[in-house]
Amino acid sequence: METPHASPQERGSVASSLDGCAYPIREDLRLSHAQAWATIARPGTWLSGARRVAVAAEIRQARRCRFCEKLSAALSPNLKGEHESLGVLGPAEVELIHRVVSDPGRLSEPWTQTVLGMGLSEGEYVEIVGIIALVMIMDAFTRAIGVPDQPLPEPITGEPSRYRPPGARKDACWLPIVEPQDAVESDGFMYPSPKAGYIYRGLSLVPESLRNYWALANIHYLPGQVIYQFDKSIRAISRPQTEILAARVSALHQCAY
Amino acid sequence: MLRESSQRSEEAVQLADITQGLSDQTQVRHADILMQYADAVVRGGSDAVAAARDAVDRAMGGEALIDAAATIAAFHGFVRIADAIGIPYKTAAAGGDVPDIREQTGINQFHRVQNDHD
Repeated sequence: METPHASPQERGSVASSLDGCAYPIREDLRLSHAQAWATIARPGTWLSGARRVAVAAEIRQARRCRFCEKLSAALSPNLKGEHESLGVLGPAEVELIHRVVSDPGRLSEPWTQTVLGMGLSEGEYVEIVGIIALVMIMDAFTRAIGVPDQPLPEPITGEPSRYRPPGARKDACWLPIVEPQDAVESDGFMYPSPKAGYIYRGLSLVPESLRNYWALANIHYLPGQVIYQFDKSIRAISRPQTEILAARVSALHQCAY
Repeated sequence: MLRESSQRSEEAVQLADITQGLSDQTQVRHADILMQYADAVVRGGSDAVAAARDAVDRAMGGEALIDAAATIAAFHGFVRIADAIGIPYKTAAAGGDVPDIREQTGINQFHRVQNDHD
């Protein structure tokens, strides 16, 4: 298990461990990491910059949690025990972060309701999931190419926007989402197409998280405009090679989507 | 996505290999080393990741390695969103239900599907 970096760097600045990589990293990948870390440092929609960076630190801590290790090996996800946390965040945040990092394939709607019942708002829940997704992508990438985790940024002070999209409603998913037809101007840019799939809509209760996530994810996988062009690859690997990796990683996480 | 892209490229894919490990029915070039790379990043130690990474680099080169790493990384994020928000898995594949693919791949054995009482 790797140890989270404890030393923050310059306030809101971008990390640079990718510079030590021996392989030719695309410039858009470098930039997307820098931008994602910068967004994590800033005040979000429901969380301050300090809390967002604390979430990022706890995500790394979850990889060292012995209870999470036991949990993911257990036959049932209903194991009782205590997560080994950094002690900065509350129990609801710790439970959310550790379970989503370590055992995502066995989450359930009742578990989601339990976490919300422990004192997290729906907006906080979704914003934290958005940060988890960002950090998991960036840390998986650095692990894959053999460079250290990027240092956590120094948080930027300021107030969260506390914006909740008026069109958000709970229907198709366990948490409220904004269906494309319900998006309004004050949400800002949400969907590249009215047919955007549910995976695209997942973080839409927190539009800023949705935008931050897709800015990073599209650069790593494929931008939306080429996803359904199956006979074309814009990467140095073929499309079937891309999809075999995608499917295998999803299967290893027991993801049915 | 995998089935569609392999049909277009005329490279055979055995969908069950995604959950059960690679068989000789899957003919995607370098599928073996790519799957080992994915496996190592998801659940291997740092030595396993290094060995798998070297194998990809030797066989496919540095640019391909980076794009393989980026794809593997991307799906560490997608799965967290899908599973934490409870996105309905029946809407995968561009919104269409795909029970035949779930059966062929072994996805029906996953916890989420086994515990779906809808």
